[in-house]
Amino acid sequence: MSAYLTGLIVILCLNIIIAYSVFLPAAAGQLNLGAAGFMIIGAYMDAYLNSADDGLGLPMLLSVPAAALFTALIGFLVSFPILRTRGIYMILATFAFAEIVAGIVLNLEVVGGASGFPVSSHAELEDLLPVTIGVILFGFYLISTRFGLAMRSIHDDESVAILFGVNTRLIQVGAFTIGAFLGGLAGALYGHQFDYIEVQNWGILFSIFVLLYVLIGGTQTPWGPLIGALFFTFVPEMLRTFGEATGWELIGELRFAVFGAIIVGMMVLRPEGIMTRTFLELLFRKVPRRSPQNPPNNMEGV
Amino acid sequence: MSAVLTLSSITKSFGGLAVIDDVSFAIEQGSRSALIGPNGAGKTTIFNLLSGIYEVDSGRMLLDGADITDVPARDRINFGMSRSFQNIRLMPHLSTVENVMLGQHHLATSFKDIFYPLGLRPKNKWAEQARAALSEAGLDTYSGQVVSELPYGVQKRIEVVRALMSDPKLLLLDEPAAGLNAVESSELQALLEKVSTSGTTLLVVEHDMNFVRNLCQHVVVLNFGCKIFEGTPEEVGKDPQVLEAYLGGDTSNAA
Amino acid sequence: MLLAQQIINGLMLGSVYVMVAVAFTLTIGMLNFLNFTIPALFMVAAMITWAATAAGFHWLVGASLGMVVAIIASLIIERFTYRYMKAKYGDATEHALPLVSSLGFLIIFEHVVIMIWGTDPMSFNSPFANAQFVIAGLIFAIPQLISLALSVALVFALSLLLKKTQLGRALRSIAEKPDTATLMGVDVGRIVPVVFMMTGFLCALAGILFTINYKNVSPYIGDHVATNAIAGMVIGGLGNIWGAIAGGLIIGMVEVLSIHFWGAEIIKVPVWGLMLLILVFRPTGLFGHTRIGKGKF
Repeated sequence: MSAYLTGLIVILCLNIIIAYSVFLPAAAGQLNLGAAGFMIIGAYMDAYLNSADDGLGLPMLLSVPAAALFTALIGFLVSFPILRTRGIYMILATFAFAEIVAGIVLNLEVVGGASGFPVSSHAELEDLLPVTIGVILFGFYLISTRFGLAMRSIHDDESVAILFGVNTRLIQVGAFTIGAFLGGLAGALYGHQFDYIEVQNWGILFSIFVLLYVLIGGTQTPWGPLIGALFFTFVPEMLRTFGEATGWELIGELRFAVFGAIIVGMMVLRPEGIMTRTFLELLFRKVPRRSPQNPPNNMEGV
Repeated sequence: MSAVLTLSSITKSFGGLAVIDDVSFAIEQGSRSALIGPNGAGKTTIFNLLSGIYEVDSGRMLLDGADITDVPARDRINFGMSRSFQNIRLMPHLSTVENVMLGQHHLATSFKDIFYPLGLRPKNKWAEQARAALSEAGLDTYSGQVVSELPYGVQKRIEVVRALMSDPKLLLLDEPAAGLNAVESSELQALLEKVSTSGTTLLVVEHDMNFVRNLCQHVVVLNFGCKIFEGTPEEVGKDPQVLEAYLGGDTSNAA
Repeated sequence: MLLAQQIINGLMLGSVYVMVAVAFTLTIGMLNFLNFTIPALFMVAAMITWAATAAGFHWLVGASLGMVVAIIASLIIERFTYRYMKAKYGDATEHALPLVSSLGFLIIFEHVVIMIWGTDPMSFNSPFANAQFVIAGLIFAIPQLISLALSVALVFALSLLLKKTQLGRALRSIAEKPDTATLMGVDVGRIVPVVFMMTGFLCALAGILFTINYKNVSPYIGDHVATNAIAGMVIGGLGNIWGAIAGGLIIGMVEVLSIHFWGAEIIKVPVWGLMLLILVFRPTGLFGHTRIGKGKF
């Protein structure tokens, strides 16, 4: 495999994990514009635990899960104040959270402050790939449980979900905490891929893009973040390659602008994201059988 | 027969305006009752007070002997009450069977029940139970479909099935027949009669007096937040106060 | 004395945030829409002002051109964001639809500007570089004073417009009940673009004033100003234009003073910490907000 392709797949894997991190709360109706915050916590915690010189010198197999769990704990603690907010307020609160995390880490001299922090151990794509597949499978599993059903009910109609006995607070804290765990995991793995971390990698634009993966992919099904991450990883690259191949340099140079236009177009054509329930039904379900005893009373039919 | 639901002196006002004014009535165990009245009489408000969306200003509500007045909305389903809504409130992005499974939510309490992959392994007791309930209601053809794409009448009946899944003692139905054609309406009525035979108490808010007359034995009439009549459907049409309430208001709803 | 000078500087910086915060608060209060094209409009107007001046035109030519482009851009944005904001079924992520489109536009504008002018910061030769006066040892830059006065005057005019005119009544009815405004004879399709024109106007003016005052432009200036303006808006209360003035000025002061006391590295923590505290414990802001969102029962 060429280095270029390997690099691209590494980025894709990290994008998928962080997309699921934002997807889980979004599937329960909460938009998180703070993906950067979790990723920073995970990356720095892991680098610190892993570093033999400046930290504890734990092996990767321990430091990565420990960093993810630590991020989950932070996620759990901040979920209580943050979940008091909703809608646009929640978007702003999570965004503020990420900025505060960045601001604090920038001033932590123990992890290098503004100059960044080296990561001791390096992991290969072969280590990243199974974790990514595990995260995808976990996403599908969680959504298919009654916990996932409750999440999706809150997403669709919170007040009715409450009347059916759904403990909305518990479910939302749970989804947010698991999302934080995945965010920390993505951050930790990022460090081991690129061997050096600095806060500047995760600015506002990063959080915006991750939220876009999820919203463009669709929040209704666990396919959404997968498709969204694929879309966001490959389309700009495809535009670049297309620009090079056709010699039409403008497309290569403007690929992000073209990409922005695609996003705007997507929202006009598919406002609920690429993968919706109805679209999945179209793809996978057979045409429903019509039993002769119970002809459906389709009012528009006939 | 004992009362499954007792309202005593319920009062609720919004911004100083009394929407429900000292309303008391009781619903007999196993009965089929209707709550009727002109538009704005406070019928849906009563339902919202019962299900805990609004808090009462004063008065008590007893459900099967337990005082539910101060029970939070989320816990009321555990006391044996569930409801449908005037405007369809199904989860639009869930399939029919998933919507119905939401009705079982409060019955699934163990860790295993909550984290069992219902969707990935469709042959589980919860889904089987939901599908059985759907097929009993004649809706089995729709079980895998996303509800937002289904016809209005079908969605209306799915809401009733969802409410039934929680195994309620008292089922509150807010205009279940509104917008249904004659065939759908009679199908719904057959479903509700079956439900009633199995011991569930029904309380419906309904404008369609034919539906009420065919289904219910007991009628409570509200007007401007006050109870003005309580009796059988036959008596309702003869009561001068009720006639005045309807003729003075929206005549198209008259009995 | 130094502290007093810092407070003055904070107020001056805040006055730029005020206009952007008012732009944010208008679209949120009227349309429940967090408009992320605002940093782009701000930046485009600033870049055009710089580019035209650098090309030898009078700065006023550049400024007018920037203004016109920003307003037209904002009208185009309206077509593709707010118009499509209605989800088929109102669910919890419905309000995010126009937000996503507006992020798409942010990406488009930033990258078009980067392609034309590159990512490096450019310096602007201000025509008023030394226009300042000194009172009791405190320096007052005249362009900055003018921006402060202009901000307050504009918001005052805006609140008069909302209170007294036919247009203002129509706008308020959309803000209160978007579903019934149409029934009450308000032509929503024609009124909503007005909000976007105002947004374009305010952002462009802020961008131009920022360029003149701080003499530096880059494709990313909008991001910093807009995020601080968002913090200011939250502090003042979403949808509250007078709150946006106070919030913008507070954020300007907090920024300048925390740099003064703790250095530039830590700046994010006080600004965002303040905003998060307010969001969580006083979501209506210090001065209250117009009601957003609709009950369903």
